[in-house]
Amino acid sequence: MNLLLTTRILGALLLFLAATLLLPLPFSFYYDDGAWPAFLLSALICLTVGGLMFRLVKCRAELSVRDGFAVVTFAWTFFAIFGALPYLLSGAIPSPLDACFETMSGFTTTGSTILTDIEALPKSLHFWRALTHWLGGMGIIVLSLAILPMLGVGGMQLFKAEVPGPTADRLKPRIQDTAKLLWGAYVLLTATETLLLMFGGMNFFDAICHSFATLATGGFSTRNTSVAAYDSSYIDAVITFFMILAGVNFTLHFQILRGRLGDFYRNEELRCYLAIILVATLVIMLFNGIGGVYTNLGDNLRYSIFQVSSIITTTGFGTADYEGWPVMAQYILIMLMFIGGCAGSTGGGMKVVRILLLFKHVQVQVFRLIHPRAVRLVKLGNRPVDKDVMQAILGFFALFIGIFVAASLLMAACGMDLVSGGAAVVACLANIGPGLGTVGPVDNFAHIPAFGKSVLIVCMLMGRLELFTVLVLFFPSFWRK
Amino acid sequence: MKILIVGAGQVGYFLCDRLSREGHEVTLIDQDEEKVERAQDRLNVLGVTGNGASAEMLEQAGIKTTDIFIAVTNKDEVNILACLLAREYQVKTRVARTKSIEFSNSKAILSKEKLGIDLLINPEDAVAEELSKLACSARAFDVAEFAEGQIHFQGYRITPSSPLCDLTLAELGELRGMYKFVVVAINRGSDTIIPRGDDIIQSGDRIYIFAHHRELPAINYLLQSEKVEAKSTHRAFVLGGSRIGVQVAQSLEDLRFNTKLIEKNEDRCHKLAEKLNKTVVLNTDGLDVSTLLDEGLADADVFIAVTQNDETNILTCLLARQHRVRRTLALVSQPELLGLASDLGIDACVSPRLAAAGAILKFVRRGDIISLTAVDGSNSEVLEIEIKESSGLLNIPLRALHFPRGAIIGAIVHNSSYEIPTGESQLRSGDRVLIFALPEALQKVERFFS
Repeated sequence: MNLLLTTRILGALLLFLAATLLLPLPFSFYYDDGAWPAFLLSALICLTVGGLMFRLVKCRAELSVRDGFAVVTFAWTFFAIFGALPYLLSGAIPSPLDACFETMSGFTTTGSTILTDIEALPKSLHFWRALTHWLGGMGIIVLSLAILPMLGVGGMQLFKAEVPGPTADRLKPRIQDTAKLLWGAYVLLTATETLLLMFGGMNFFDAICHSFATLATGGFSTRNTSVAAYDSSYIDAVITFFMILAGVNFTLHFQILRGRLGDFYRNEELRCYLAIILVATLVIMLFNGIGGVYTNLGDNLRYSIFQVSSIITTTGFGTADYEGWPVMAQYILIMLMFIGGCAGSTGGGMKVVRILLLFKHVQVQVFRLIHPRAVRLVKLGNRPVDKDVMQAILGFFALFIGIFVAASLLMAACGMDLVSGGAAVVACLANIGPGLGTVGPVDNFAHIPAFGKSVLIVCMLMGRLELFTVLVLFFPSFWRK
Repeated sequence: MKILIVGAGQVGYFLCDRLSREGHEVTLIDQDEEKVERAQDRLNVLGVTGNGASAEMLEQAGIKTTDIFIAVTNKDEVNILACLLAREYQVKTRVARTKSIEFSNSKAILSKEKLGIDLLINPEDAVAEELSKLACSARAFDVAEFAEGQIHFQGYRITPSSPLCDLTLAELGELRGMYKFVVVAINRGSDTIIPRGDDIIQSGDRIYIFAHHRELPAINYLLQSEKVEAKSTHRAFVLGGSRIGVQVAQSLEDLRFNTKLIEKNEDRCHKLAEKLNKTVVLNTDGLDVSTLLDEGLADADVFIAVTQNDETNILTCLLARQHRVRRTLALVSQPELLGLASDLGIDACVSPRLAAAGAILKFVRRGDIISLTAVDGSNSEVLEIEIKESSGLLNIPLRALHFPRGAIIGAIVHNSSYEIPTGESQLRSGDRVLIFALPEALQKVERFFS
């Protein structure tokens, strides 16, 4: 691979990060929280390092597919490291590992935190936390649409398979234009949610932080008790709605803006996604009702649908401690963790379309046993799915489970109990945030040993970049000429 | 009327035959002198040898005074070009046959409107439509719909175990209290008669009835010789994955048939599996009986054979018959083989060209006659005629009208209600009557109503 070119691109990305580090400054001055030197210094460091990397390395080569894997993986790693500087320099998080965990959790839109008292953090750092989510979410949309399909690992390959005709007809022929349009949809949705939240009595600062975290399906809140702190059914409803939207493929949002509602309803993945939300909510409501958790039907609906949306979209906000819910309800939430959002959304997990196609694949296999001479194809939205894509999905599924098992084993080695260790791995691998047990919705990740935290950081990165992108870097043949 | 037909193939010949019998002035153009002469010798038409897409030839054939122009050569381009020329000569009605879906597709760039063609008929589409219609009517072998689908015309084969066997029409009349239908014709061997009260229905006869579509389930039940348990789904087998096969399978899917499509070629099977959603595509040969039996061929409801090969279609239908498939339908292109169906026990043989010709006939004879269908195996026809204010037939009991011999009124439709005609029935303005007519009575019937 081309080391020079990779370095140069990473330099450019660091310069971009330096610029974004200046964004929290107005909040720092407005709330007078004294964190502004940390941001300035961080920006300066990024500027210097990035500038050196960008200026000193000259390379005019084209980016190859192999370089693509390296650029994407290293970009996320660099962002996690340099983005951690404000936490360290301001002294809010003294341990470098913890700071990296928090930043990686931000950029990968996971939302797991090592902070025990979130509200004690300076306001501008709150904003930085939310901003890492928002940038990470934006990045992942562009990544999954523009770069991952070329590398052949992204869920967007599937989306392409479903889209009839040339993709040029759908959005724009140029990646840059496509990215602009999607960012437009993203910004518009964020602004709308901010306004709606302010309408519900939130102040501007909290509203924008929560909107950033919602649209990116992140899950960092400015409050210790997350969204439960506001105890408002209006705010719950708004956030639930936008979480569900954020779990939808962003090209579909773009179609809505274009006035093509038909595409929205015809999309098979979307229908499946909404059906899962509906069924999961109803079953959880049933068990919560039987178990006597909520006596009032309205409350039952409000809390059940919020947790279901929060988990399936891999946001990770909380309005209720689901560890007090019946085991059945918890089990369903765990399953939702594995499923995740739609391909091309900001959500993580295995993606609804992969699960959908896995089931269809099984169906076809059984069908072939009954009808040995029959020819039947796996179809998505009435279009056949390519064999290669199907194989990639099977590989992805196996790898996801494999990594889950391996990482859980490592967590057990650090002395974590079965439930908490496994849940912590899923929560990070699927970019959700809260898990179960000692890392449940009202707990945090601070108590995990350093080794465990490092494992989880890698899990977050792998989960965000669809496993293969990171995994190829571990193969020696990747580094050979 | 003056009619100009280009192309003396099967469709052209069939159209010449029908239209000339009805007393139209038919001129036939074809490049093949032999074909033209054959038509001229046997039919009452004028033949011209030459290229139907040349203006000079068309003028020679008298296009300037022609009312209806029909282009049915086997070349799409010739047919379309000929129709374009006909438009320049201000021919009122222009009909063309095309094989390619480039033109007949509803989303086609060069649609029939742009080409100035009134009817663009695709034989494959026409036959696929006919096959799926036949497939869903339980024991009927000939089906047509009239008065926007309210009234059905159906033919039934009478088996020795049929409840109607050995009944006279008068006796049947008593049954009719429960089952509302009219027997308009009996086809015995090569004769078709319009039955009177003392005629007896015999085993081996084919009877033709008119009935309202609401009455059909009861009638089908009555005419069913073997007891069929009430089933919610029907099993259908389609042999041959050509375009006709796909279309038939698609319409059977829509009719909620449990459909299986059999195709030999594996690559073609993959294409079929892409296009069809519910149909099971089987990659095997039509004669691979053990696989077909595994897939439930025995006691299936319909077996439709639509491969390119007539002999294969007929033989596989016989094979299916042996395994007690209730209805077998075969696609047969060669006219000589068409008549075999009833002798062999195949429920219907359908030809793409005749299906196209039927559709063209139906179209060109619009006007007073709303729709018309040629009855299989005989030259009889069914006409749907609208009664006009000026006809002089209004408010007179049917008994008192001198209705032509060789024809019978099967149903009278007043807007959305209908009546089974008796001697006392009266016609009102705007009514539509359905008439079954033997070939010799056809013109008399038309004159009677005009």
